[in-house]
Amino acid sequence: MEINLEGKAITLRGDDNPVSAALGVALAANGATLGDHAYPDMLILSFPLLPTEGLVVEPLLARAESIGEAMAQRGHGRILCLVSAAAGMPMRRHPDYSRRMANVLITVRTLAMRLGPNVLVNAVGVGAIGEPLVAGDAAMLGHASVTRPGTIEEVVDTALFFADPLNTYTTGQMLSVDGGWTAGYGRNF
Amino acid sequence: MRVELGGRVALVTGAAGTIGRAIARRLSDNGARVVIADINREGAEAFAAELPEAMAATIDITSQDSTEAGVAATIARYGRLDILVNNAGVNSFVHRVTIDAFPSEEWERVTRIDLDGLYRMSHAALQPMVAQGEGGRIINIASVVGLAAMRLQSAFVAAKAGIIHVTRSMALELGPQGILTNAIAPGSIMSEGTRSLFYGADGKFAGRTEEFMRHLPLGRPGTAEEIAEAVLFLASPNAAYVNGQVLAVDGGWTAGYML
Repeated sequence: MEINLEGKAITLRGDDNPVSAALGVALAANGATLGDHAYPDMLILSFPLLPTEGLVVEPLLARAESIGEAMAQRGHGRILCLVSAAAGMPMRRHPDYSRRMANVLITVRTLAMRLGPNVLVNAVGVGAIGEPLVAGDAAMLGHASVTRPGTIEEVVDTALFFADPLNTYTTGQMLSVDGGWTAGYGRNF
Repeated sequence: MRVELGGRVALVTGAAGTIGRAIARRLSDNGARVVIADINREGAEAFAAELPEAMAATIDITSQDSTEAGVAATIARYGRLDILVNNAGVNSFVHRVTIDAFPSEEWERVTRIDLDGLYRMSHAALQPMVAQGEGGRIINIASVVGLAAMRLQSAFVAAKAGIIHVTRSMALELGPQGILTNAIAPGSIMSEGTRSLFYGADGKFAGRTEEFMRHLPLGRPGTAEEIAEAVLFLASPNAAYVNGQVLAVDGGWTAGYML
């Protein structure tokens, strides 16, 4: 998969994990200039993808708001959040983590409304990824109809889709990469 | 975005229309061999002639015989079917009335084409797709009204909500076989049919369009090419762990209430 990011300044902030590391490599391979840009063309916020108790998301979201406002004034920009798919489907065993991921998702939606029409704000919802897992929870696999964990590359490619310069009418959305975990009950009752 | 579809065979219904054409062209540009399926024979044949290694198929998705014949023709030509895009559909533009006044024959027309037609086309296409044993992709074109209901188009709302939920059901059933099913929910999309609705002769938004566009964060209708880009990603090998998802390509319409 190739997208043309030549000349695009991208800032990747937040949790340093195998998915965010691979995404950084892929963005650079497609021509983006990664760094701590004051006014990036795209801001990517990486939240912890393994369930984490006591997670504090507000500082990163505040960062998104301030940079997003600057993008809106400038007239273009994108924000992408890498979150757990639990943002849209809470897990009983991880109530605190699910709640904080849902907070991120609602912020994505409200920012999309605030920062339009020239700034797109979206999220990738990440399910059970990697062996051993680098994202999600093994319990997710019990309902995922694709009977394997996903790969880091599959998450990275979905993030690239949201960076795609031709993907210009999607905002306020989360696309989950979870093998069907959030589709419904993966059981034959 | 550039992906490698490597000669995969994609059948796109409603492919003589604005959105279907954009989808078919995007898939073709990325290496797919495309079946231009439409009830409009002349339109399908003319468009198929524009694309390399494409074929036209006259398919009436309300007829099981027709969908099965279209799939049989596909297999006869290419020997396989890898991607189905259920794009064909209709809305009711004449009967913009509340459900107590909505004519039963119009309800049946809309749901028969939009929802039953998706079942018939999918049922026919899945026969070779399952038998191939190599997985596949189904991409259903729903609508934002399947996510957020609107007034005065109850049949269309019901059919599109049905498409969204059956997308999830199909994903759960077919995922173990490597057949991934997802949906795109377009918002207001510019087509030859809607252009005159959106814009007046002066090139500005006509009538209530401007008021309506204030409900969209992006403040404009989308294009068929923007829908096609999302379909291309879901059809690509790169989306191999995306299943049962509904992606709204809607300018932010379903992000929340703007006003």
